[in-house]
Amino acid sequence: MTDSIALRVNGEMRHLPLDPATPLLQVLRNDLCLNGPKYGCGLGQCGACSVLIEGRVARACVISLGAVAGRDVVTLEGLGESGQLDPVQTAFIDCQAAQCGYCLNGMIMTVRGLLNHCMRPSREKIVSALNYNLCRCGTHVEILEAAMLAAELDAAGMAPSEVE
Amino acid sequence: MRSPSASRAGRPPLPGHFDDRLGLLRYAVVIRPPSVSFHQGDFNCSRLLDIDHASLGEWSAQVAVVELGNFVAVVAADPDLARHAVRRLRLHWEASSALADVAGQADRNEGENGSTLNAHRPGTMARRYGWPNRLRWGERAGWVVADVLPTRASLWVDTATSDALRDDLSTLLALAPAAISLFSERSDHGGLSLGRLACDDAAADAALISRHIEAPIAIWLDADYQRDVDALGLAETWDVEASGAHALDAVSQQYGMARHAPAMALLLTGLTELERSPAPASRPAESPYRRANPVVKVGDQGGGSDGMRVFAEESFLDEWSRQQTSDPLELRLRHLDDSRGQALIEAVRQRAEWRPVPTSGATIDCSTPLTGRGFAYCHLPDTNGEWESGTRSAWIADVTVDPVTGNVQLTRLVVGQDAGESVNSEALTSALRQQLLPESSLLLRHDGGIDEWGDPTVTPRSMLPAIDTLTLNTSGVPPAVTTDALTPGGVDSGWVDARAHFNAQTLAPGTAAIANALCDATGLRFREPPFTAARIRAGLREQAAADSDQAPDFGRRPESTLFGTRRRRRRRWTSAVVASLLTLGGAAATVLPWKASIAPIPRPASDLYSEAAIERGRLVAEAGDCAVCHTADEDGVANAGGRAFETPFGTVFSTNITPDEATGIGNWSFGAFERAMRHGISRDGHHLYPAFPYTAFAKLSDTDMQSLYAYLMTQPAVPSRSIENDIRFPFNIRGLMAGWNLLNHDPKPFTPDPTQSALWNRGAYLAEGVGHCSACHSPRNAMGAEKRGDDYFAGALIDGWEAPALSQLSKSPVPWSESALYDYLRTGRAAQHGVAAGPMAPVVAGLGELPESDVRAIAHYVASFMPTAIDAAQASDLADEHVALTAAAPPGFDAGERLYRGACASCHEGGDVPVYSRAETSLALNTNLHSDRPDNVIQTILDGVVAPHSRAGNAGDMPGFRADFSDSQLTALVSYLRGRFAPDQPAWEHLSERIGELRGEAVP
Repeated sequence: MTDSIALRVNGEMRHLPLDPATPLLQVLRNDLCLNGPKYGCGLGQCGACSVLIEGRVARACVISLGAVAGRDVVTLEGLGESGQLDPVQTAFIDCQAAQCGYCLNGMIMTVRGLLNHCMRPSREKIVSALNYNLCRCGTHVEILEAAMLAAELDAAGMAPSEVE
Repeated sequence: MRSPSASRAGRPPLPGHFDDRLGLLRYAVVIRPPSVSFHQGDFNCSRLLDIDHASLGEWSAQVAVVELGNFVAVVAADPDLARHAVRRLRLHWEASSALADVAGQADRNEGENGSTLNAHRPGTMARRYGWPNRLRWGERAGWVVADVLPTRASLWVDTATSDALRDDLSTLLALAPAAISLFSERSDHGGLSLGRLACDDAAADAALISRHIEAPIAIWLDADYQRDVDALGLAETWDVEASGAHALDAVSQQYGMARHAPAMALLLTGLTELERSPAPASRPAESPYRRANPVVKVGDQGGGSDGMRVFAEESFLDEWSRQQTSDPLELRLRHLDDSRGQALIEAVRQRAEWRPVPTSGATIDCSTPLTGRGFAYCHLPDTNGEWESGTRSAWIADVTVDPVTGNVQLTRLVVGQDAGESVNSEALTSALRQQLLPESSLLLRHDGGIDEWGDPTVTPRSMLPAIDTLTLNTSGVPPAVTTDALTPGGVDSGWVDARAHFNAQTLAPGTAAIANALCDATGLRFREPPFTAARIRAGLREQAAADSDQAPDFGRRPESTLFGTRRRRRRRWTSAVVASLLTLGGAAATVLPWKASIAPIPRPASDLYSEAAIERGRLVAEAGDCAVCHTADEDGVANAGGRAFETPFGTVFSTNITPDEATGIGNWSFGAFERAMRHGISRDGHHLYPAFPYTAFAKLSDTDMQSLYAYLMTQPAVPSRSIENDIRFPFNIRGLMAGWNLLNHDPKPFTPDPTQSALWNRGAYLAEGVGHCSACHSPRNAMGAEKRGDDYFAGALIDGWEAPALSQLSKSPVPWSESALYDYLRTGRAAQHGVAAGPMAPVVAGLGELPESDVRAIAHYVASFMPTAIDAAQASDLADEHVALTAAAPPGFDAGERLYRGACASCHEGGDVPVYSRAETSLALNTNLHSDRPDNVIQTILDGVVAPHSRAGNAGDMPGFRADFSDSQLTALVSYLRGRFAPDQPAWEHLSERIGELRGEAVP
């Protein structure tokens, strides 16, 4: 373990002298203090740990650190820019799409991943994308609404204030 | 064993210009007598008694057997058929007199070790030098073709000695030399060559068979012809003796008799009359060193060739000066009474910046390349036999020797030639470049071949030396001298035996200069060409062994002096005896149940081996996955052993292969290591179980074996606790393994298949040898030995996993292709097959360290066993079809489907959105779900897939569900997966029992 693994996290290069088999989620939360991604099931089933790797959504609990060497990882903390939230975050706030909020990281990151891939997704497409993100407290309606608003905001490419 | 289509595809082309439009060409394989020797003109071989034609069975209609005296060959329309027929054909030979064989060997050894005639008389030194009849088998492997008609003959062969070959063929075929046409793809031999190659023997073989069969014949020329090179022994020997307490007082030379051997076919058929005495020389040989006193005297009888004499004399003077620790160049100058020669040597000395080198007390640092330089001088008469007007040349060669591989590079050559005013130095340079350098590299070239790591097209194998020529203008010298040296065929060889084709006067001193440089670099004296890497390696190894024995008490790496003391010489002799005993031991290994222990040695110093050797050894270890088996499962230290292997005979634990002296292999000599690797016998003499795949490792080349030893011995030593194997009676009696080996183990090294491509052979070497693919992928018989033949690569169970079939028996829904195999082995993932898991995951991780070309070679080789009837587009269509078929779940699996939706679908169902951590390959294409056994599916769900090798973009690890699913849930889930994704396969039986077994068996 003398070799460190280099990767970019939220735009910053990190050199981590860690076992490449360590799950990415553990590295993000324990070593980099990025608590946006949540530990849910640890089996890739619930989606609470989602992050973006090379712009695509990924479940950080089933990805080892070694597998993302040299890659670009973005967590919830890395969305948007300083003082300006990502349209997806804005939409979730606007729609008040949280109850317990534990799944919300995964919902937001998955929608971001979807919008990176497709500009104006249909409702069916959004449902399909969020199909394997589990929410236990029943906020599905709000989440879906927020996701659709996010798609609109993102497509408009406008700042949240302008939308208001 | 291999698909016929693959062997056809890889067949190398016939020589250019050979036209077989009539389809008459036949392929022949010659069978040499078991014992052949040629010693001082006496030819001796086993006599052919009888050929059992019935042993060919049904092939006898398609195969012709040519029998002419003791010359036997098998001819067929297909080279594969001919080769297989040779294996099947039974011949009865009468043993030849063993004495002659021994004599031939002694002849060689004397030259090799420098028989010291009268060596013990004080102040004298005597040495014997030899020149072999065949330098080596050839320049490269290829077809040699002969088409012999009653009135003329045509041969396609890259001979370097066309005159000698034409002579032989003329005798063999009773045709005039003019009726024999030789077609060579090389046009630059120019009549200059250091000696004959065994390609001449192959050509004569082909011609003889062609005349007999009345059809054109192709013979494959390759390293098999090395046996002719060995059998034909020495062509000439020279004894040189000198006296003088300090200065060199007198030197006398004798042309020690040997005989130039004609082509093997002539000897075997008895078509040539061997003369007992050498052709009388019309002129005694002369030496340039004849200053009145001291004197160099050449034997009265003369004979022999000038080139050979120059080699012997120049080597000897170098040896003498080294023994006297004087400068070899000064020695020449002192004894030369020729002002032109002195001026030339001075000029060359300045050009090359020659400095007297310390000739003793220097140390060999084995971790860095050895460098050395050598000098040689030559004065030969001109074409008219005039001595004074002859050509003088002086050579300084610089070489670099890799102490581990024995590879030699000629790094610089300064050649001064005194050849009169009209010399065109440009022509001289170009002649030297074209004619000398190929010959020099012929002497020195690394053998290359199937154990070459990395892509040979990328890595340059040898470096062209910086050649530096110098021509001195001295007036009054006729230009004929120069023409003589440079014009092909211009040599008047009237006074030389017509078959003595050591015609390269220009090249002769070069040979000596290189031999002297090699001695300067390594302390090893080679008294016969060629100077192969194998000989240099062997010499260095012997030297290193002697050195490490010399002072075992104070430090691990005693300093070694360049030139052997008497003690060294005795050591060398002793180790030669030990080596021959070892060989005998190796031969007897399969018969005797009890094996001798090999004495422990202090652990070799870590700086003994070059970085190149250690790196190569690391690649061998990665390709062989040493650490996979020799590391305990839980937090095991790499290579410290302790991993358990369940076998039908009990549990075997892997051992510690770190260089720890007490519990590892730290005190194993290379000999002990090699014996274990090739014969499955531990250092202390006990038999190892074939769970350790020595049956495959026996195929390793020597170089790879040595590199692997170097690598393992330079790793950190880790002490371990040894664990007793738990083997049932009677299998716990290790001596029984002797019988097992007799029945099941073939310790022969890997031999490339000449009809296959280099890529295929490289792949076969890796896969059959160090990669030991078949150790897991071939089923084993009741004795635990791998089955061969049709069962090769037919799949097997290992460690609770199924190693799937790699042959036509593969259950893969989409057939594997070479490129899919490459992706799988290189990245751990093939798009239409899935990812490497279980015991295969670390294998792929190891392969990740290998050069790309090697992984391609393995894929190419393995693919030759698989049906590859479909192309990429068809495979893609087939895959889509399978996926579409399994989109919907069949009814009746509700419980399983619920579990699948919750636990698996998030990664295994394709969605519209790209997900980095999603499994890219549909389960519909997964080989494991289509197998006859559920083992791999169950293992994967229990413990997941860990992909340390994830080179492919999106390889997520699969978590294990051992703790999350009960046995009944697993049963439901696995039934569902089978029912949905392999609808054409029957449901697995006894599923829940197997799940219970595997859950208990596998280590969490």
